[in-house]
Amino acid sequence: MTFSEKLKNGKFIITAEVAPPRGTDWKSVIESIKPLKEKVDAFNVTDNQRSMVRMSSLAMSKLLLDSGFDPIFQITCRDRNRIALQSELLGAAALGIRNICLMTGDFTTLGDQPDAKPVFDIDSVQLIELAKKLESGKLLNGKEIKGSVEFTVGAVYNPFAGPKILQEWKLRKKVEAGAEFIQTQPVYDIRVAEEVNDLIEALGAVPIIGLLPVKSLKMANFMKKLNPTSVPDKLIEGLEKANDPAQYGWDYVIDIAHAIAEFGRGIHFMLVGKTSELAAFIDYLRNDSPYNHKF
Amino acid sequence: MVVVKLKPFEEILKALEGFKKVFIFGCELGSGRCKNGGLREAVELGEKLKEKGFEIVGIKSPGGTCILERISFPGRELLKEAEKNSEVIISLACGAGTQLIAENVDIPVLTGVTTLFIGAEREGKYFNEYCIACGDCIISETGGICPIARCPKSLTNGPCGGAIDGKCEVDPSIPCIWYLIADRMEKIGTLRKLKIRAPFKDYSKSVYPRSLILEEEA
Repeated sequence: MTFSEKLKNGKFIITAEVAPPRGTDWKSVIESIKPLKEKVDAFNVTDNQRSMVRMSSLAMSKLLLDSGFDPIFQITCRDRNRIALQSELLGAAALGIRNICLMTGDFTTLGDQPDAKPVFDIDSVQLIELAKKLESGKLLNGKEIKGSVEFTVGAVYNPFAGPKILQEWKLRKKVEAGAEFIQTQPVYDIRVAEEVNDLIEALGAVPIIGLLPVKSLKMANFMKKLNPTSVPDKLIEGLEKANDPAQYGWDYVIDIAHAIAEFGRGIHFMLVGKTSELAAFIDYLRNDSPYNHKF
Repeated sequence: MVVVKLKPFEEILKALEGFKKVFIFGCELGSGRCKNGGLREAVELGEKLKEKGFEIVGIKSPGGTCILERISFPGRELLKEAEKNSEVIISLACGAGTQLIAENVDIPVLTGVTTLFIGAEREGKYFNEYCIACGDCIISETGGICPIARCPKSLTNGPCGGAIDGKCEVDPSIPCIWYLIADRMEKIGTLRKLKIRAPFKDYSKSVYPRSLILEEEA
């Protein structure tokens, strides 16, 4: 069953993130995720993440597809105006890329080419509207297009950003515009994961909760600095005491994944390092866990 | 107000290489208000240039350099006087004022400032960008606070996911403008307006160079 079919059939979803290479060596990227083939349902292919140049996410998505993986083509508003966005999405549809995840994108000055001109012609809500318009057989200006366009549209949500009311309204706008699944920023608290899961589900989209295994105390502190409320004290304390912080960080996230498998609809692994461990965990969830009927 | 910033003296000096007689224009309208190109700064620049051996043939800082052309007599005479007596004009007016001077004289006109933005003066100490003259004003929908100019991503449907702890992710030293918009709209009872999806912005209205044509009276 494909990612899209699972989504529609109420199955539990497991996605993971993969970054295109800085350069053209796509084969090593494919190689690195091979242990997750047919285990992870779909791979989000990032679009010049953190405003740093990588190979095109559209090209990498197609290479994933050709290598037997189901890609989720991520596309942002940072580098393309509405003309380019429509063009890219039509290209994706023609290449057989079904899943897309649409977002505003990190700002240019946060990356390593801060002198670049930021675009932001439209925002994430409008980008979803744009994709749905293409699906309806028309360009934004109403002109009819030849050939069919069919997407499974996703968007993102950061439960730790504010103002809370406006973030929730924006999330609602995304779902109303046509987002079928929502992937979140990493969550390190089961209670938060449950709240976010319920919020997204109540709006009518499938929640896929973000999980980012922390590899070290330094990484946790860095994330806490960026997003103070997202990293609970107990994670920091646990990392301080741990003999093997990377293992602790992994186990911590796996515990949350267990909980989400019980109450939720999906998990999204960001920055996968431990591919064989993740593959084993997915096998366990599917075959031996009390939640195996959900897969 | 158009906010400008004086260029470093060394840069002005370099641009003046090969010239001797200099006329300096300030502007009281914007440059003067932001203390980066009014009469005081024009006089200070004149003093520094004299020390470097330049002959300062005149210093003037009109109320508005960009309307000099319209002030038919005194203004035009001023420009003619500057043109006649000097080899080069240094203008501390904004980009518009400086270009207007250049259009009216046949000697080189150099700028001594960089034009930064349309902004507001706060506490007499600093200036913030408030408007990017997008040509498609939406502030009536956002509590009188502009997210086009004051959000680096010009978002119209609400804040991005980087708005953490009230701060803008692009520059954490400034607040995320959507927090100010939410507070204000809640206070004036219009917050619910933000539940509605914002239309695509018409950027054809910001294609420069733009003009405003006054309709002639019948």
